[in-house]
Amino acid sequence: MESDTQQFIVGVDTGGTFTDVVVMSPSGEVWNAKASTTPDDFSRGVMDALLEAARVLGVERSQLLARTILFKHGSTVATNALITRSGVKVGFITTKGFEDTTEIMRAIGRVDGLSDEQIRHVTWVTKPEPLVSRERVIGVRERIDYLGETVIPLNRQDVMAAIQRLVQEEKVEAIAVSFLHAWANSAHEDEVRRLALEADPSGKIYWSFGSALSQVAGEYARANTAILNSFLGPTVKRYLADLDRRLREGGLESPLLIMQGNGGVAHIEHTTPVANLQSGPAGGMIASAYAAGLLGHPNVITTDMGGTSFDAGLITEGYWRYAEEPIVERFRILQPIIDIKSIGAGGGTIARVEAGTGRLLVGPESAGASPGPVCYDSGGEEITVTDADLILGIIDPNYFLGGRKTLNKDKALRCMEEKIGRRLGMDSVEAAAGIYDIINSKMSDLIRQQVVRTGYLPEEFVIYAFGGAGPVHAGGFSAELGIKKIYIFPTSPVFSAFGIAGADVIHTRVMSCQYILPADPEALNQRLGSIEDELREAMKGEGFPPEHVAFRRFFSMRYRRQTAGVEIPLAWDRFSHDRLAKLQEMFEGKYEELYGVGAGYTKAGIEISAIRVDAVGGVAKPQLKTQDQRSTDSSKAIKGKREIYFTGTVRKFIDTPVYDYARLGANSEIAGPAIIELPFTTTSVQPGSRVIIDEYLNLVMEVL
Amino acid sequence: MTKEKTTETAAVIDPVRYEMFLHRLWAIGEEGRMTLQRVTASPIVSQGGECMSSFYDSEGIMVLACSGHLRFAAATSDAIKNLIRWFSQSPGFYDGDQLFFNDPYVAGSHTYDMMIVKPIFYSGELIAWMATSTHTADTGGMLRGGAYEIYHEGICIPGLKVMERGEFREDVFKTLTEQCRDPQYVGLDLKAMIAGNNVCAKRYQGLVDKFGQEFVQSAGERMILDSETKARAKLRSLPDGTWVAREYVTTLDRKNRKAVAQQLVCKMTKQGDELKFDLSGTSSQTDTDHNSTLPSTTAHIALALTNTLFWDVPWSDGKMRPVKINVPEGSILNCRYPAACGAAPRVGNVLVSTVCECVSKILYASGRFDDVNASTTGNLAYVGGPGYFYGGHTREGVPVAQGIYDIHGAGMGATPHRDGVNTGGHMNIPSAGISDIERIEMQYPFLYFARAHDGDGSGFGRYRGGLGSYRIYFISGSQDCSADYKPYGGIAQGGFGLFGGYPTGKSTPRYFVLAGLKLLDRMRQGEYPDRQGMRDGKWGTVHQPQGVPERASLPEGSLLIDYVAGGGGLGDSLERDPELVLRDYGRGWVSRETVEKMYGVVFDREGKAVDAGSTEQERKRIREVRYTKGKPYSGKTTSLEEGTANGWRSVIRFHAVLEIATNGRTHSIRCTRCGHLFCGAEENYKLYALHQVVDLNDFMPDPLPSGEPYIGEYHEYYCPGCATHLQVDLYCPMLGGDPILWDTRIHLDRLAAGNS
Repeated sequence: MESDTQQFIVGVDTGGTFTDVVVMSPSGEVWNAKASTTPDDFSRGVMDALLEAARVLGVERSQLLARTILFKHGSTVATNALITRSGVKVGFITTKGFEDTTEIMRAIGRVDGLSDEQIRHVTWVTKPEPLVSRERVIGVRERIDYLGETVIPLNRQDVMAAIQRLVQEEKVEAIAVSFLHAWANSAHEDEVRRLALEADPSGKIYWSFGSALSQVAGEYARANTAILNSFLGPTVKRYLADLDRRLREGGLESPLLIMQGNGGVAHIEHTTPVANLQSGPAGGMIASAYAAGLLGHPNVITTDMGGTSFDAGLITEGYWRYAEEPIVERFRILQPIIDIKSIGAGGGTIARVEAGTGRLLVGPESAGASPGPVCYDSGGEEITVTDADLILGIIDPNYFLGGRKTLNKDKALRCMEEKIGRRLGMDSVEAAAGIYDIINSKMSDLIRQQVVRTGYLPEEFVIYAFGGAGPVHAGGFSAELGIKKIYIFPTSPVFSAFGIAGADVIHTRVMSCQYILPADPEALNQRLGSIEDELREAMKGEGFPPEHVAFRRFFSMRYRRQTAGVEIPLAWDRFSHDRLAKLQEMFEGKYEELYGVGAGYTKAGIEISAIRVDAVGGVAKPQLKTQDQRSTDSSKAIKGKREIYFTGTVRKFIDTPVYDYARLGANSEIAGPAIIELPFTTTSVQPGSRVIIDEYLNLVMEVL
Repeated sequence: MTKEKTTETAAVIDPVRYEMFLHRLWAIGEEGRMTLQRVTASPIVSQGGECMSSFYDSEGIMVLACSGHLRFAAATSDAIKNLIRWFSQSPGFYDGDQLFFNDPYVAGSHTYDMMIVKPIFYSGELIAWMATSTHTADTGGMLRGGAYEIYHEGICIPGLKVMERGEFREDVFKTLTEQCRDPQYVGLDLKAMIAGNNVCAKRYQGLVDKFGQEFVQSAGERMILDSETKARAKLRSLPDGTWVAREYVTTLDRKNRKAVAQQLVCKMTKQGDELKFDLSGTSSQTDTDHNSTLPSTTAHIALALTNTLFWDVPWSDGKMRPVKINVPEGSILNCRYPAACGAAPRVGNVLVSTVCECVSKILYASGRFDDVNASTTGNLAYVGGPGYFYGGHTREGVPVAQGIYDIHGAGMGATPHRDGVNTGGHMNIPSAGISDIERIEMQYPFLYFARAHDGDGSGFGRYRGGLGSYRIYFISGSQDCSADYKPYGGIAQGGFGLFGGYPTGKSTPRYFVLAGLKLLDRMRQGEYPDRQGMRDGKWGTVHQPQGVPERASLPEGSLLIDYVAGGGGLGDSLERDPELVLRDYGRGWVSRETVEKMYGVVFDREGKAVDAGSTEQERKRIREVRYTKGKPYSGKTTSLEEGTANGWRSVIRFHAVLEIATNGRTHSIRCTRCGHLFCGAEENYKLYALHQVVDLNDFMPDPLPSGEPYIGEYHEYYCPGCATHLQVDLYCPMLGGDPILWDTRIHLDRLAAGNS
């Protein structure tokens, strides 16, 4: 058992179903536990999960908390409040004449966040209901131009009258403020902040300011950012305060750090609610980046295939990437949020034969968890990907999700025959194999798109496969991409919590600018300097002295007149004329890599259009222990044999050994054909491929 | 030619590999389009989505188009077919070639539709074509608006190799770009298209590596065949019949410097699994650039069908095989060379609107309510004043010819169950968007003072059209700025209402006020420009340049307001839920005057609550007026004999209120509300409806800025039994034609057969 002085780092991830806890010792030992998520009061689920973790550790919960030196938490509270539209009543103050900006939604709001299949139904698609109804949007007289110069001064009477109306008549609980070109000059928004103190001295109203949340041009997404922050603010704040109180009462003394969509944590006082969105996927990404560092993978594709969707994200040269204007729940915002793309492809994805053409369509519709696949025997009558996996033998009907659910294979077979096979002149196994191949191909297309947009080639990557259905299909979609190595992690079900536990403190600033090359290096250096000063200040608030803050710097560059940029990571902290000339070369080189030789056009001129700086405060990381006991004899882990149909060049059933992952030791090796069952998923190994259990007990598949 | 073979190979293709192939091909095209949007210098491409990547077989037949501007996809097929015809021998096509093309008499809509076409080779054989297209607003020539021959509209190239056997042709590139005002801008767009092609062609070759040449060939053929099969199946599921739409455009009469109107007549006949469009009756071509070439017309019909009737049919040329089109030569929809055609997309948009009008009615008759939409295609309801094609010098002194594309933020039409989407976009581009003002101001010499929804501007109805928008902006920082200029036209350009809904709301002509830089001083003192003030001269003289020039100079300090149209309404406006009217009023989306006049809704004095009793009375009063003022055109309210009221059952509902019913012996048109029997099923019910002509001069609250009269009238039809509003048709008497438009005629043969 643990000594009385053992210290802990705790990561808690509140997901839709489970609240996961990962506890690490600074020396790198890892424990985990889970409890049900409690949507009526999320903090209860957190305390339950901690109790469970304490039990695993063999200590009291109060001891666990008292000895915790870093407590990090990612929650679904913000996302949940947005999905259910259960934030607070918000008022919005903006520049007079532009009160409709968040209703007009740049017109693109009609399709933002929809799938291509939905977008094609032009007559049917509508915009989402705005979070602030038009009655609670008030314009005030003021105007700043694109250079940040004041054209019309702020009219204070307008502001005071607006606040009064919103608070007294409309009874709002939160107010968002976003003015035109406040990205270039925040003076008017700052002035409103001062006036707000006058108008609302009790501080009852939750305020958000566009310029404080983003310094990027684009008034629609910036206004949304402020509005979302205010909409979610009181809910998130209340939740965190409540959780903080419970944790303190429970014995926690160290600060509560909150996971953000940018992949870093921030102190409870410094976190912004809108930054809490997408923190779950961010946790998974951090864990992947950490694993990538540990395993020596510069380029990784993370994939997560669950019941209804397939998500793919990228790590290139060790870092994750941010989306430019991420869309959350159909709202376009400006926040550094890790870029993860999604399509409708999961275990519940429906396959059917199209009338008239006889096409075998797979997705994007899903049978979801209820009624679910035919084999669930809960009323589902449409063939799904899981039914196909079952028919092919990859999934054991008696060991689905570690045996938590029994599947009806006969029913799946009958339905496959009737609804797919007969219509295509195939037997049910051929049909199942077809569905398996088609869904894999679609996922590989999404991955390819993601990868080539960055200028890399899929072959330069390894795949990390997550999600219940991920390892079942990973061999298939990797082969399509020419990727040779797939990693499946035993910690996969708690990966997000694991990532959160290891997350650094990160503050990010992204801002639009215009420096036309050859630019004055001094001006650039000064700009970088002032951004860094601001970030240092923020990091000081997080308890990081300047010498412990590391900066990552990026420029977004483009040919003049273009609207999109190419992000270049900077190798230098400051610039000289020489370095700027080199920067230009780097940009043009990267541009040709992305768009082909001859695509560049120097004569059009080149500009720096945005600057991004990440300030990183590193915290202790798990020192994962390697397993040195050798158990190269994998045959001891065989728990039986079953007939598996392999697609590709094999195209037949093979009597295949089934391995129990729990009995496989480090360095053991399995040659395909094989099935390896984990408590949360199953993976199939093609003939010719092989699997090695690495020293961390990860499953490494080398694809033929 | 290859049709026999097609059917044969298509039958044996492996369905699994076929699905994998299709998704991969689509993903490649999307990648091409995204590349284009990232590297283009055209805001209309990057934020507006006016671009396309598409694939063609070795003969130029379109296999697949991706999302983007559908006009381009339909157009490029013709370009490729002609390139093959003209240049196969000399200079011939080689691996690594890419050809620039922008001749609207062959393909595309106007010279600003630029495409770069690339033959794809595999093992030395030309196996396919691909193309990327963008809307690039600078071709040199005259600035927009003034051209009256195609020669004025800048470079017009029927095919020129800008890449030859993989080598970039600097000579060609320089020659093309340096004829334009802004060579860097055009150059970047050409490079963007080359990049898009490079990306796609490389991936396409990978596709052939994976699937094999023969398979790719057959899959392409199968794809085209599948589209045709699906299109025909869909057509078969619709009732046979004829639908007619008539809409209008206005342009400049160059001789008397006044507005002149033209009509677009679209007659759609559906029989079995075929669809025929006859555009006879459409006005003659004009001597301005307000003309559409035949390829542009065909492309616009194709895109209208793609977004409505065939939205769920894959985007290949197969879906157009059941469609036949007849367009009279010399008309505004099939202009003769060398007529100018810069405004062809404008004419095309109205054409799309006529097609959508016919299609929504046939879709309604088949019960596909989710697909019915009284949409316009965007743009302007009432034309006049300065347009959105800017030219001159930027603040940095760069000469430019550009456009502001807020037109992509039009209101969408009402549907059978909800209002239209406010500023929903553009029928032509499924994922259209407009730019952030902050980004516009970084590039253009403008300061915006408003961009907002235009209340009262969309079509009234039980469900109103989605609101369009207006913007007020100010020329700042450029000493040389001009825009195209149009005379004020007294009739709406396109748009339609359905089943008693209005095609547009109140008229919204653009204004141009010489406010001067002192406007900013006044604003610093607390004043703020507004619509009414601009109209009333509070901000300076409303400027109407002498002689209605084709372009108007916009001196620094000019204050402009312009409008983008709202969608059409659906159903009788007296049936609109009064609470929705109240909500709209609270949001400034409808005026008190319209609330009372059009919706018959009465609020309390503060406008905070509906007075239900008074509303009911007011609505009853308006219905009484309909009874009194409406007179059946034929002189009687039914063509049927007395005593036939009982024993009818519904056969098909073709209108929100009307159906064809049968009593077992005969078929008649009947009101579903009150049971009124109008006439036989193959007669025009409008002849027996209460009919009232409303002059636009009496309907529109605001006169045209030029003081000229409106030149149209609304023909309104009400049920003689219950006074429900059945239809509003816009009619321009000076252009002639039957004022009582017979818009729907369902053929009984198949109905009766299906029914028995």
